[in-house]
Amino acid sequence: MKMEEMSLSGLDNSKLEAIAQEIYADLVEDSCLGFCFEVHRAVKCGYFFLDDTDPDSMKDFEIVDQPGLDIFGQVFNQWKSKECVCPNCSRSIAASRFAPHLEKCLGMGRNSSRIANRRIANSNNMNKSESDQEDNDDINDNDWSYGSEKKAKKRKSDKLWYLPFQNPNSPRRSKSLKHKNGFSVCTSASNTLPLLFSSSGELSNSDPFKYSNSTGISYETLGPEELRSLLTTQCGVISEHTKKMCTRSLRCPQHTDEQRRTVRIYFLGPSAVLPEVESSLDNDSFDMTDSQALISRLQWDGSSDLSPSDSGSSKTSENQGWGLGTNSSESRKTKKKKSHLSLVGTASGLGSNKKKKPKPPAPPTPSIYDDIN
Amino acid sequence: MCVCVCLGARATEGLSPGSQESVVSKMNKDAQMRAAINQKLIETGERERLKELLRAKLIECGWKDQLKAHCKEVIKEKGLEHVTVDDLVAEITPKGRALVPDSVKKELLQRIRTFLAQHASL
Repeated sequence: MKMEEMSLSGLDNSKLEAIAQEIYADLVEDSCLGFCFEVHRAVKCGYFFLDDTDPDSMKDFEIVDQPGLDIFGQVFNQWKSKECVCPNCSRSIAASRFAPHLEKCLGMGRNSSRIANRRIANSNNMNKSESDQEDNDDINDNDWSYGSEKKAKKRKSDKLWYLPFQNPNSPRRSKSLKHKNGFSVCTSASNTLPLLFSSSGELSNSDPFKYSNSTGISYETLGPEELRSLLTTQCGVISEHTKKMCTRSLRCPQHTDEQRRTVRIYFLGPSAVLPEVESSLDNDSFDMTDSQALISRLQWDGSSDLSPSDSGSSKTSENQGWGLGTNSSESRKTKKKKSHLSLVGTASGLGSNKKKKPKPPAPPTPSIYDDIN
Repeated sequence: MCVCVCLGARATEGLSPGSQESVVSKMNKDAQMRAAINQKLIETGERERLKELLRAKLIECGWKDQLKAHCKEVIKEKGLEHVTVDDLVAEITPKGRALVPDSVKKELLQRIRTFLAQHASL
């Protein structure tokens, strides 16, 4: 080895260059030989011409090199203005907006499917009790914005109900006041409070008429059997303005148990099954005393006050504020004027259920006598 | 190994049969030296590295595709069944040698020179 190295160092540049050239030629020849073996093997195995195509198709797939075109010869920004046709509503929507639209249109996802289902249910005039149950479900559901839906519905119904009566709102109020005074003459002092509430509630809140297309159910058209079944499943308190029965559930916050009882006694006689029996069987039965009715009313107010844009609900709170503020003085006043107001109340032909009210509590008659004395 | 032998053979081929003793010994010495260099190339693995570099460069610059096209012509001429390795080598090698780009050739030669310089200085 040492000898070789010595000889190497002794070589001049031209010899080194010749050796380098030789090595290079050798390497190239090696590569060529390797390539030849490769090709030969490919030919003998039959895969050498595999990637060959006929010239016609080669022309078809030639790479296009022109300004404004991609390599396939297509205008490359043509997808910008692409529109998709929605399979549901068959509108054409820009491709970039198609997915969000589809989500809303088809009702994908939890929220929209709920909303869509609700919409379908409402359009089919769904059974009242069922929808009531659904209401309870939705209230417990925190992750669903039921409030907005409810508000929207309310607004709709308010519009339906209020628009014709928007201007004569104040006369109505005074009329209801008259009624109230008339009732409070006949009923006990404890009954005045819920009655005031109910009348103001009837005036402002059209929720009882939410489910049936016109307003409640007019009790005159019902047979005794129908009445019985209706009163065992629904609130049934008769509105003094529409003279129709409330179609909400037995525990509707609009009316008190007292009112329901009165209606049932009126229609079915004193032996009738009171709704309390059934409502106590229900899972979340609550004893609707007057104070609780008041609380529930207040809660109702709070929820409706959440939407300042809702003209109907603001009206509601206004009315109820009036009712709350004046009820004590009202009841005091009525005690003084009982005798002639009761006459007015009976003479004016009020809702027949209200006429019935005086009967269960005894106090009215003695009080009249007191006044006379 | 076979390359060494072939190099040596080529070196001896260059000799004229009627040369003098000293020339013969010198040529022998020359051949010995070449054999030694080749030995070194293989031992250090430099030859393998150079080969890999050359192959990569040739594929990169399209040499392989050009040769392939040429191969196709040759094979079509001869007929698919009658192609032999010897034919191919005879047809392809001159073309292959000519088609190597100058840049690749220069780079490779430079690397060989540095290798030789390194081992000559030892």
